[in-house]
Amino acid sequence: MSDQLIVKIADFKVAQSPAIITTHGLGSCLAITIYDPQMKIGGLAHVMLPEPDLARNQSNPAKFVTTALKELILSLEGMGCSRIRMVSKLVGGANMFSKLLNSGKTSYSNIGQRNTQQAKQELNNYGIPIVAEDTGADYGRSVEFLTSSGTVIVHSFRAGLKEL
Amino acid sequence: MELNELGAIQLDALKEVANIGACHAATALSELTNEKVLVNVPVIRINPIEEIFNLAAKPNEVVAGVLIYFLGDMTGRTLLMFPQEAAWHLTDCLLRKPVGSTTGIGELEESALKEVSNVLTCAYMNALGDLLGLVMVPSVPSMTVDMASAVLDAVSLDFGNDKDLVVCIETEFRFVEKNAVLHGYFLLLPDPDSLGVILKAIHLG
Repeated sequence: MSDQLIVKIADFKVAQSPAIITTHGLGSCLAITIYDPQMKIGGLAHVMLPEPDLARNQSNPAKFVTTALKELILSLEGMGCSRIRMVSKLVGGANMFSKLLNSGKTSYSNIGQRNTQQAKQELNNYGIPIVAEDTGADYGRSVEFLTSSGTVIVHSFRAGLKEL
Repeated sequence: MELNELGAIQLDALKEVANIGACHAATALSELTNEKVLVNVPVIRINPIEEIFNLAAKPNEVVAGVLIYFLGDMTGRTLLMFPQEAAWHLTDCLLRKPVGSTTGIGELEESALKEVSNVLTCAYMNALGDLLGLVMVPSVPSMTVDMASAVLDAVSLDFGNDKDLVVCIETEFRFVEKNAVLHGYFLLLPDPDSLGVILKAIHLG
């Protein structure tokens, strides 16, 4: 039986094959996985917000897309992974109450979409390709990341099972 | 008003205010369903936003969540969460169907749950408004059926102004059935600034 690691909200973990890294209940939150297929090492971050400027307390890097990605990549490199081999997958960033959010009031913002956009921009800056994604729409998701193959299994109550 | 400055007296007062609101809502629910509805004493939680999954329900539990935000003298959101079985039971009562006949949430069921949530939220808000002399205007309700954790994270991240702390005043409803107890949760999530407004209105601010 392989190791099962659970990543909580605003947290990240890295592990080597055959570990399975899971995270539950992504609404607007985004799960970012990064994988080095040669080393069979991967990491998963469960972030809440696009950038630290949105909060007063910025002490937890894993809470924000920009800072979490930086830490995640550093940790992977620390385990011997190379940035040029890294590939990424994105899951989550939904807009659960889309009807209410789009009903004309502008001071509330679509954090899910902003998380996804920020992650894409950052990953592009790092030169890490996004090989698959299951983001947006209006339903919650849970993720299982298999470090043996880099496969990401997305569970959702509304849309069933998906393999990325 | 800093949240960590709230003393026991203020927290007690907030609980009392919430209790009055919740009792009005429970009375409305009881009249709509013709069932006995009990409420517990409200619990106030002021948590880092990272701990939202610890609010009400179990994180992976599938719930019907109805969100309404309100504007006016006090701003924030209310979220009603009914775990699946409770949502079905409630729909049976509201649509006058035999108990046990609802086994999914379609358009009609969604409409019924949204409507009842609207009534409950307004009963709660009116009681609060009358007591505190404040005006609050609710939005239309929006509903989703999904994992409790996904619902809670969206409610806090997309609709909360504060991305550090979540203030949650939680009341649990119980339908007392012959052989089962079904739960529902009423969460009042005031924007942190609005706590000061409530406390001022009762001369504790």
